[in-house]
Amino acid sequence: MKGVPASLCEVQTRLAGLVWCFCLSLTVLLAQLLPAGGSDSLPQVAKGEGAIAVAFGDARATIGRACVHKADSYFHGGIDMECKHLGEQDGHEDCHDEHDHDGHGHGRGEATQGSFDPWRWINSHVRAPDVHRHLGGGEAVEMMPWFWASVKADPRNIDAWTTAWYIANNMMKDKELALRVVAEGLGKNPDDPELLVCRGRTLCDHGRRDEAAVREAFRAAVESADRIVLRGNGSPDERIVQARDFAQAYLDKMAKKGERR
Amino acid sequence: MQYMKVAFCQIRALVKLSFVELWRRNDIFALVLLGLALMAPLSMASPFGAEGASRYLDETALLLVWGFSVFVALGAGQRLFPPEFESRTIYPLLAKPISRGRLLVGKYVGAVAASWSALAFFYVLFVASVLLRGGAFAAELPQAVVLHFAFVALAVAVSLLGSLLLTASANLTLSALVLVGMFFFGRRLPEYAEGLGPALSWVVKAVYALAPHAEFFDMRQRLVHGWGAVDGIVFAAVLLYAAVYVAALLSAASVVLWRKRL
Repeated sequence: MKGVPASLCEVQTRLAGLVWCFCLSLTVLLAQLLPAGGSDSLPQVAKGEGAIAVAFGDARATIGRACVHKADSYFHGGIDMECKHLGEQDGHEDCHDEHDHDGHGHGRGEATQGSFDPWRWINSHVRAPDVHRHLGGGEAVEMMPWFWASVKADPRNIDAWTTAWYIANNMMKDKELALRVVAEGLGKNPDDPELLVCRGRTLCDHGRRDEAAVREAFRAAVESADRIVLRGNGSPDERIVQARDFAQAYLDKMAKKGERR
Repeated sequence: MQYMKVAFCQIRALVKLSFVELWRRNDIFALVLLGLALMAPLSMASPFGAEGASRYLDETALLLVWGFSVFVALGAGQRLFPPEFESRTIYPLLAKPISRGRLLVGKYVGAVAASWSALAFFYVLFVASVLLRGGAFAAELPQAVVLHFAFVALAVAVSLLGSLLLTASANLTLSALVLVGMFFFGRRLPEYAEGLGPALSWVVKAVYALAPHAEFFDMRQRLVHGWGAVDGIVFAAVLLYAAVYVAALLSAASVVLWRKRL
């Protein structure tokens, strides 16, 4: 510094260092003390474990949903679709005629416009396939990395877990993979009724001989759903009720079969 | 004939200069290392223990190639004139004698050629990674590469014009915002315009009409999902769009350079 004695500069530097040390200590102290005052009232405290949870906080849910959306576009051969498909596993083929293919699907968009738009025309031809294809069979494995990324970002996204299970179980017909997905899901969401139903269905679809295991999985689903319903003071999530009804229906069916024998 | 020969020699010298400048910097190698650092863990992951998924790797690798190409192209365009003005080396350059127009074209061609060489290097690495994973050479790849080359030429022109009008940081930020914004949202602008008030809608429509449509050149989804090649007429239309846009940007740059007080 010009015109300032060297000793004064030294003092200033040391003072700045002391201030930095003090601020750092204060930050560490606050970080330790504040969560003790009530973690629920502090949204900045990451709920969950791992670096992703700490880095992204509540944005993880959005990232998780984006990954599921990406998987959905993979299912449609790379086209972004407006309606949710993979989340609605049953009856999924029915809504195919109603899709809006992001303005560049089979109709190629330009026909619906009043005047000719050359930019849209180019986009619709560069960024849309000529034939609408769906991933199926072994090819469906291409969607798995996106579901994996989704549940890594947001392990509580039950939709992502069940959809990954659906792909492994129903599309790839891979029992081991389906059971691995459900086991990982249950590891992150213990006693989740939907995942328990998924496990029961896989055991039922691919391992018909092990009836005891199937019955146990569905019974666990019913019990877990009942516990959640009780905790929810009579206003449970519709999906929990559906999972319970589904598991109960399977149990009833199995009981009837047993009686006949 | 002599005139043409001189022009060719001058432009060749400028191209060589741009080449040397780009490859002497360690940007490209740093980008390759960054790409490897990102891709290596991804390629080793096996989601839920399932084997055989490769499209996500291709898509990520292509996205990186696109990102790196934007970085290289904008940097190459930005470095063409401002350093010459700052170090005053523009005076001996123009005293060669070489006209301002020829200097502009020569420098532009050099920056484009250098950026293309970097892009070709990235694509060689991409194809090598696909082949190493047991994949096949996609039939759409040559078309995708040509369109990507056209995009790079456009990006260099955008950056070159910006470098004559704005400061380096402002130019790089604005050019990157425009190109990346159009790349991801360009095709959706008419939809956005519909939901806005009349004045704002008009602005968005003007942007849609005039801004460089980077998304035209993006064939990543075609490559990743094997959609097949683009129709010849559409391909030609995109190349024509790039040529016209580059010509317009270079004309504007030449006017700015001509009026610039040196």
